[in-house]
Amino acid sequence: MSNKMVAMILAGGKGTRLKALTAKVAKPAVSYGGKYRIIDFPLSNCANSGIRDVGVLTQYESSELNQYVGNGEKWGLNGVRSSAVVLSPKQTEEGSSWYRGTADAIYENLDWLERMDPDYVLILSGDHIYSCTYNEMLKKHIDSKADCTISVFPVPWEEASRFGILVTDKKDNIVQFQEKPKKPISNLASMGIYIFNYKILRDYLIADAKTDSDHDFGKNIIPNMMKDHRKMVAYTYHGYWKDVGTVSSLHQANMDLLKNGANGLDIYSIFGPNKILSEDMHSTPQFIGPKAEVKDSLINQGAQIFGKVNHCVVSDDVVVEEGAVCINDVLMPGAVIRKGAKVENAIIGPNTLIEENAEVNLEHDDIELVVNRKAARL
Amino acid sequence: MKDVIALLNCHECARLGVLTEERPLASTSFLGRYAFMDVALSNFTNSGIDNVGVLVKDHQRSILKHMGNMSSWVNNTKTDKITLLTNEKGLINPPYNTDLANLKENDYLLYDSSASTLVFQSPHIIAPIDFNPIVKEHRERGEGITIVYKRIKDGDRDFVGQCRLTIDQDGYVTDASKNDGSEKEICVSLATWIIDRKALLEIVKESQRHDLSLGIADFIVYFVKSKRLKVHAYEYKGYARCFNSLEKYMEYSFELFKPEVANTLFKKDWPIFTLTHNSKPALYGPNAKISNSFIANGCIVDGDIKNSILCRGVTVEKGAKLNRCIVFRGSKIGENVVLSDVVVDKHAKIAQKHKIEGDPDVPIYVDQGASV
Repeated sequence: MSNKMVAMILAGGKGTRLKALTAKVAKPAVSYGGKYRIIDFPLSNCANSGIRDVGVLTQYESSELNQYVGNGEKWGLNGVRSSAVVLSPKQTEEGSSWYRGTADAIYENLDWLERMDPDYVLILSGDHIYSCTYNEMLKKHIDSKADCTISVFPVPWEEASRFGILVTDKKDNIVQFQEKPKKPISNLASMGIYIFNYKILRDYLIADAKTDSDHDFGKNIIPNMMKDHRKMVAYTYHGYWKDVGTVSSLHQANMDLLKNGANGLDIYSIFGPNKILSEDMHSTPQFIGPKAEVKDSLINQGAQIFGKVNHCVVSDDVVVEEGAVCINDVLMPGAVIRKGAKVENAIIGPNTLIEENAEVNLEHDDIELVVNRKAARL
Repeated sequence: MKDVIALLNCHECARLGVLTEERPLASTSFLGRYAFMDVALSNFTNSGIDNVGVLVKDHQRSILKHMGNMSSWVNNTKTDKITLLTNEKGLINPPYNTDLANLKENDYLLYDSSASTLVFQSPHIIAPIDFNPIVKEHRERGEGITIVYKRIKDGDRDFVGQCRLTIDQDGYVTDASKNDGSEKEICVSLATWIIDRKALLEIVKESQRHDLSLGIADFIVYFVKSKRLKVHAYEYKGYARCFNSLEKYMEYSFELFKPEVANTLFKKDWPIFTLTHNSKPALYGPNAKISNSFIANGCIVDGDIKNSILCRGVTVEKGAKLNRCIVFRGSKIGENVVLSDVVVDKHAKIAQKHKIEGDPDVPIYVDQGASV
């Protein structure tokens, strides 16, 4: 088959800045938008692009994530001639070690890639929120006869120094790469989405594995290819894209889904024409009680609302009891807000219990994170 | 539960008036999230029955669509099976389109399995029934036929037209008749039967000698009345409602707004499985005002919803007011529309400022795809 592209999703990161949310689960498995987990986005994007084979590279707190990915059934990747495979660090003839970096994670799984025998490899991050297909990017990669195509996203100039920045010529050829530059000369940030010609990537990975480097795409593989004057092309992505690194950015990304979200966006414009596929929860229907007040919110099936919910994202099996008030919150699956509790500007973690009449973050603008998993034992 | 074949029996199913003119009750929307057949199919799954047949009477397409690849209701996707059973001869000859004729037409289901017991449930009876204790008792007593029944207090209002039973001290049915509403406290059949394979053969044998329009229920009554075979009765005490008209459909659906009622249907250890559609969560706008309602995913609501049920993908615009309404999937309710006691079928559009007011006893029905 010609033009076969296999996707590799890097999903091993810890997401330290999400604090207690990622204490027991990897960042790609963190809940988002009432019914999704972050990794639903790259996986759905792959499914919507017609990519049939996807490897998911996991490492940190991998059991929940591995179970979630399963055989890819949630994204339809369990069909004939399709596969979704969880690739975790393994023992080999040479010994065993953790993935030493993003490039090493792919290197350690070259055996799987060899079996898949792709023409192109798409490298994705498991913790970005965006809805798209990769077909146009692949077309550009093929048409421009590139060795590597990097997806870029124009960021505000003042934020450019937080990203890997690419400088391009008029034909979108990448002429310079700056990793977190102090004085950026471009505002095109790398999204960590790469398409490589497989055989070229393989050579660079094998060479890199023998060196004492960071084994990282941004720090090693891309600069090495630039040095060798490989054909490197930028593909500019337009649309919603979020790398939710912190508690407040995760909160903001949830709020973006609401009807009057940032820049007039909402879940419909952010997801666009593609379906974001996710787990099939066998929850009961969503019930809004007789004394409830619900407005300006996104609420998933299985939620039971008896109190006041304003400007919130509410996941399945959340209970907000009578007299409880939730404003500007993200309530993750199974969270229970008891009678009379007041919760503002907060993320309430999965299965977290907020006791009767408790007050959470009423007077502060910063987003507070509460995680206790006590509701799981109710 | 091995050694059991479960059958979802669409032949003995009631109808919901205009709602079921174009679709069978089995695949009609229930509480915005489910189809009626989900409850019985989930009972089979939760009871651990791995061999399920669906006795389809008509409107096969609608049932097939909801069943999808059937993996939503099976415990093991390889070893468990759900088979759709249809009787094509019956389609052109409706009076003879019975459950018995369908089973005879598809008797390979019986030959392919050595199961000794068959379990039947009809989609119009919503009841979360665990078949394990019932089948256990049926087998321990060595019964041929067991009917699952419930004692009800409002026989003049509920289960009217369904089978009413008289039961003796030993747990056998001594009389069976149509519930004509003459008494309040009665025992009613839940159209749920446990039938031994041998007893089924008895029914088949008997049926050769009689009118071919008779179904299994008719022969169970015949056995009771003629005393040819003892019919055992098993009392079920949980939630059970018989949905047999548009009015009852609304009444019993709205009754589930009460948590004390809903908690008897939705139990933690007894999930109701359904086909899901990857719809987005419900999105409520800044003008939304919602109370006492079931709202399905995929809805976009900026209006005022009270005592209502919205199915998947319904849009309610700003200023619209809904009270005691059921709105089927994909319908659009425009700005400032006022609806009360209305059932809006799927993909209907009600343009702005319209006012449609029914009566709790006489709800108004808006047809599928209608533009008002």
